[in-house]
Amino acid sequence: MLSGYEQTEPRSSTFEQRNQSSSRPRSFKLFRIAPLWEAFLVAAGSLRANKLRTSLTLVGIVVGVAAVISVVTIIKGLDKTVASTFSSQGSTVFTISQKPQIIKSREEFIKFSKRKEVTHDDEEAIARLCNACWRVGIAANAIQSLKHDNQTSDGVRVRGVTPTSMFDVDGVTIDVGRIWTEGEANSGHDVCVVGPDILKNLFNGAAPERALGQEIRVAGRPYEIIGVFEPLGSIFGFSRDNVVYIPYASYQKAYGARTSIVVFVQVPTAEQLEAAEDQVRTVMRTRRNKTFGQEDDEGFSLETQDVFLDLYGKATSNIYLVTIGVAAISLVVGGIVVMNIMLVSVTERTKEIGIRKAIGARRKDILTQFLIEAVTVTAIGGAFGVLTGFGLAYLISALIGFPLLVNVASAVLGVGVSSVVGIISGLWPAWRAAKLDPIEALRAE
Amino acid sequence: MSDTTFAPPAPAQVFGQTVGQTGNNNGKVQSSSLIAMQDLWKTYKMGSEEVHALHGVSFDVKKGEYIAITGPSGSGKSTLMNLIGCLDTPSKGQYWLNGKNVSEMDDDELARIRNQEVGFVFQTFNLLARATALHNVELPLIYGGIGAAKRHEMAKAALAAVDLSDRVTHQPNELSGGQRQRVAIARALVNHPSILLADEPTGALDTHTSMEIMDLFERLHAEGNTVVLVTHEPDIARRAHRVLSIRDGLIERDEKVR
Repeated sequence: MLSGYEQTEPRSSTFEQRNQSSSRPRSFKLFRIAPLWEAFLVAAGSLRANKLRTSLTLVGIVVGVAAVISVVTIIKGLDKTVASTFSSQGSTVFTISQKPQIIKSREEFIKFSKRKEVTHDDEEAIARLCNACWRVGIAANAIQSLKHDNQTSDGVRVRGVTPTSMFDVDGVTIDVGRIWTEGEANSGHDVCVVGPDILKNLFNGAAPERALGQEIRVAGRPYEIIGVFEPLGSIFGFSRDNVVYIPYASYQKAYGARTSIVVFVQVPTAEQLEAAEDQVRTVMRTRRNKTFGQEDDEGFSLETQDVFLDLYGKATSNIYLVTIGVAAISLVVGGIVVMNIMLVSVTERTKEIGIRKAIGARRKDILTQFLIEAVTVTAIGGAFGVLTGFGLAYLISALIGFPLLVNVASAVLGVGVSSVVGIISGLWPAWRAAKLDPIEALRAE
Repeated sequence: MSDTTFAPPAPAQVFGQTVGQTGNNNGKVQSSSLIAMQDLWKTYKMGSEEVHALHGVSFDVKKGEYIAITGPSGSGKSTLMNLIGCLDTPSKGQYWLNGKNVSEMDDDELARIRNQEVGFVFQTFNLLARATALHNVELPLIYGGIGAAKRHEMAKAALAAVDLSDRVTHQPNELSGGQRQRVAIARALVNHPSILLADEPTGALDTHTSMEIMDLFERLHAEGNTVVLVTHEPDIARRAHRVLSIRDGLIERDEKVR
């Protein structure tokens, strides 16, 4: 059947003769480039001619795609920060404390508050009895105001640690100066090692060398700066360099012996973690008079940094879910808007459709023309959404300080998904256009 | 298909009668005529009532003829034109256009026939407003799947044939009515159709421009094109060589006037 139309028919009109060649290809391939390009030009022209309408149509798509792109970009950036932060302590460290690091309710808080405090004696027992443990230490934290001359800095974390191997457990390296000796610590010298933020806040950003030997007052007590550690950076906008390390003995002098402490245990490699945890559990259960297999509370909390990662993972997956929800809703609404506009466009251009059909456009040609128009709108919307999303992510990352990871895959996905929305919402209007009766369509005004 | 297929049919009994043997439907050339209509009916359903717009119309048009179809409004003239132009299919009867049985074609096949065999000229020009004259003329070639370079060349030649070489990049609103109609004629001609089908081509033009357009049709006919003119104006119809008068869905008269 088809081959009959593909034959070249010689004509003898003089018009034809003027055109020298009488043989021209009459191909009806499945996909012809010319009508597709024509469809694209028509789409571009009609979008240009209706700028305001087009931009309003785009809003829904832009919002949906921008939401996904910005959230994905921000969370990817946070992921990287979190991963690098926690890997500085890594999976070789665990802690023993009275209360878990994350308390989810008031009831939990009351329950955990009834436990016995973790004490220096517990730490000594662990250090003595756990042979899988490599480094065992104590840390206690307080938030205090610092003073130097007439400069004050509030909200500084004061961390009392012992022994000095706790610097290694915390992943802190000395930039200038030194850490204290065990002798200094035991004899109750009030010395301290400060983070770079302290220099910035109390010494007007002076060079670390100039801070050495200077005195700062922590809650009114004087401490001599003997070392400055290298910057650790910040997480979620909170600096990890706004810290003063003091010997635990000094901490006890200042805040009393009954303050709650956290015992830190480090093992040489992650493989030994479980064995060390088991040994520490045994030691602690014995000290709390708990037996194996007992159902009730074991009286202490043994945790790795994974609890933070778990919490973080849960939080971000919730954020992802909410974002996907928001994006889905705005894409559906955006799709309906596009469908509505395409129906208007089809009605407006009924006459044009009639003309095109009269001179040989097939249903498929009209269908693709309107589909391409719909997809062009939504793809442009998707591209704007991607740009807006990256822009938002950039702003937020600049504000709270984390690395920005521009993910090409998410950009491609953003434009791709919005193009699919275009196809879906363009299909029905395009089909209505395609099946218009040419005679009726030509009659339209 | 060889050229001899298009040889003039036997002159006898052409008017008002079918010449070709349209009996078997094997898709090959059945008639020596360009248009062969045999007992064509078109019936519309108006609610429960059936309205016959055409009651068994039969006629032939030879290659190179210049024929006018006239009749008052409601005579079935427009229905007949839509059938000739392959915009519609008959309810009953056979229609062969350039050796192809159009009466049983589906939508897409009809679109192909319109693209290749029919050149439409409308009363209101029906040009795309936002497209240049050149693009308007290229449109049938686009749907014919012809590449850009060849398309430009053919469209420019067609515009030259209607003396509009200097208006190639103009949009319809920058052209006069007569020029617009000439662009439309170029568009109709560009794909070298079997017939030029003009529906009241001077209906929207003043007398002077009308005459210019009619002169152009005459010239195109002289160059070998087959022209079918649908009009209700006797003056315009008289310019053709043969006039087919339609009334109440039937051919009332079929006379050679020149």
